Amino acid sequence: MAVKFDLNEREVWDGNYAASQALRQADVDVVIAYPITPSTPIVENYGSYVANGYINGEFVMVESEHAAMSGCVGASAAGGRVSTATSSQGFALMAEVLYQASGMRLPIVLNVVNRALASPLNVRGDHADMYLGRDSGWLQMGAFNAQEAYDLALCAFKIAENASVRLPMMVHQDGFITSHTAQNVYPLTDETAINFVGKIQPIDDMLDFSRPITYGAQTEEDWHFEHKAKQHKAIMDSMPVIDSVFAEFKEITGREYNRVEKYDMEDADVVIVGLGSTVETARVAAKNMRETKGIKAGVVAIRCFRPFPYEEVREALKNAKAIAVTDRSSPGGAMGAFFNEVSAAMYTSINRPIVTNFIYGLGGRDFSIEEGERIFAEQQVHADAGYITTEIQQFSGLRGPKLAFFKTERS
Amino acid sequence: MVEIRWHSRAGQGAVSGAKGLGDVVATTGKEVQAFALYGSAKRGAALRAYNRIDDEQIFNHAKFMNPDFVLVIDPALAFSDNIIEHESPTTKYIITTHLSKEELIAGIPTLEGKEDRVFTLDCVQISLDTIGRSMPNSPMLGAFVKMSGMFELEYFLENMRRVLSKFPQKIIDANMEAITRAYNEVK
Amino acid sequence: MSVEAQDLKLLANDNRGQSGLENGSGLVGWEEVTQGSVLQSFDGNATGIALKKQEERAYSGYNSYTATVASWRIIKPVYNRDVCIDCQNCWVWCPDTSIISRDKQMLGIDYDHCKGCGVCVEVCPTNPKSLLMYGENTPMEDALSAWPEKKKKEK
Repeated sequence: MAVKFDLNEREVWDGNYAASQALRQADVDVVIAYPITPSTPIVENYGSYVANGYINGEFVMVESEHAAMSGCVGASAAGGRVSTATSSQGFALMAEVLYQASGMRLPIVLNVVNRALASPLNVRGDHADMYLGRDSGWLQMGAFNAQEAYDLALCAFKIAENASVRLPMMVHQDGFITSHTAQNVYPLTDETAINFVGKIQPIDDMLDFSRPITYGAQTEEDWHFEHKAKQHKAIMDSMPVIDSVFAEFKEITGREYNRVEKYDMEDADVVIVGLGSTVETARVAAKNMRETKGIKAGVVAIRCFRPFPYEEVREALKNAKAIAVTDRSSPGGAMGAFFNEVSAAMYTSINRPIVTNFIYGLGGRDFSIEEGERIFAEQQVHADAGYITTEIQQFSGLRGPKLAFFKTERS
Repeated sequence: MVEIRWHSRAGQGAVSGAKGLGDVVATTGKEVQAFALYGSAKRGAALRAYNRIDDEQIFNHAKFMNPDFVLVIDPALAFSDNIIEHESPTTKYIITTHLSKEELIAGIPTLEGKEDRVFTLDCVQISLDTIGRSMPNSPMLGAFVKMSGMFELEYFLENMRRVLSKFPQKIIDANMEAITRAYNEVK
Repeated sequence: MSVEAQDLKLLANDNRGQSGLENGSGLVGWEEVTQGSVLQSFDGNATGIALKKQEERAYSGYNSYTATVASWRIIKPVYNRDVCIDCQNCWVWCPDTSIISRDKQMLGIDYDHCKGCGVCVEVCPTNPKSLLMYGENTPMEDALSAWPEKKKKEK
């Protein structure tokens, strides 16, 4: 019997601590980890909960992130509730096994504390690692603050382990900006949390000796395509399950989550579309634009990065005039990946609003309210002109001469 | 919205101080943020920690702020770090130093003319006397309680005891004494 | 040892070698493939399966036991019980577990899973060898009746 952990109705937790408490409350059986900044405290705290008897679980330290995810694959295939955490280079080293986990349909929950990828070496937050996982076949959700890192980690187990989903899930939070920022967090009681998440119902668990099975079969051109197609279908089909888990969570907590979040969008002409903690700062900028400049500014945030909610994005932005899509990852010779997703959604809309791309905040470069206001103001210029008055892709918050690419044919 | 910036060296407890302050403030029903800028910095490196306090949920995640309070818990950083960065005309400074306020301002030209917004105490000496080692974060909290007028001292002490509850009683008592002394000595 | 003792059905249940590996039949669409490409080894409840003999096990269609590579073979190993010393060398070395042995007694070749590589013949230590390669279509009787004599050491 686990030792009771004293919780207050209101705690002041950072994103890492919040995520680790979710792992404790979800009664995670196994955490296998190779800790890395800034995600270290998540697995470190879980280890201490095990050592101090707060949870009947197992914490395994291994020799690399590749081994950590491999261990998670094994433990999950065995039938356990499994989780770990990583960031940046650690995520990159896990990448090979991420595809194994999703292909084997193992409902592992990975807490990713977003951090830039070297080189140059950098421990702070951007979305390079999150983007690296976007084709890995995992579900990906983003938390914008510590409360959400906690809430979404609990939801993640329930979504991932759902019998019709059975896919691994990443819960992302921004390195330092969220992971190391303590904020008011309102936790569930242990009882409410475990009742919400429920017990894991193993499917194809290797510890079921009445039904010996093989994981990791080889499939060549005669089978591989069908398996990957089935996996993609499962990812797409997870959307209603995600919605229903969010609905159930709202009933318990009053806290509402949507695959696409909309703020001040009832009548917005100019919009920032973002991911992560930037979204909340942009909300403040939008409010300021409305109050001080009379500009109808709004914010659309993608809660669920995979499966990407094309239809919901199109619906959320259908009346917008000019949209700035913000990418916090070095685009490597292309438009930002997030810009491409949103553009694809909007290209199939009837209005086809103006969409431009801002590369910002790399390596943890601050995104200020003022920067958000500047972006909104520029969108208003596009909206008034009726065409894109700048290059399509601009770097924002960068020192040195202005860096911008891709002229539009409409200007 | 009240915004606070801490200037500290890694290891002096600014991060814990900021989080402890956030913990206590949250008990009053307010929303708080406590964060810091550090990462691969080693012990002794200059760092900054931050607090935001508001009646509503805080959405601003930027590091940038125009601080209402600047808390300097390392005596040398008052001279070497740009402690007036992004100040407003009402920014209050609480600086740990063994110097008198006049001597301190004489050594930091950027503080000239701000005598009525600069407050001093010797957090290092207070922590040495009470806690037994240089831990200037607790005394700074006492000084902040006094200068901000945000809480009664007793209310703050009571809640701080809860925040520190995982520590031995001796350490809790020493911290309470440090906070109280700082509350009385800051000027 | 008679040819009958090497009866291919000796240790086989009805499922042995029922499907050819090159056979395209049984390919299903994406909606029917197993989740996560997880493959079940046995049909039904397999509790205690380790205590059952192979011929008593309900191997599933995913198990290689039910597939055959017999058609790959152009030469085959023939086993001569009269010379064999049950050393189990061939059983150890066979890359396809196609040496049928029970209670440390060599019984014969599993011709559904033997691809005719000849490793068993290479490692056989007896004089003459207890396993020899013959053309796939050579009758067993012809092979066994023409078994070589013991070789004398050359001085």
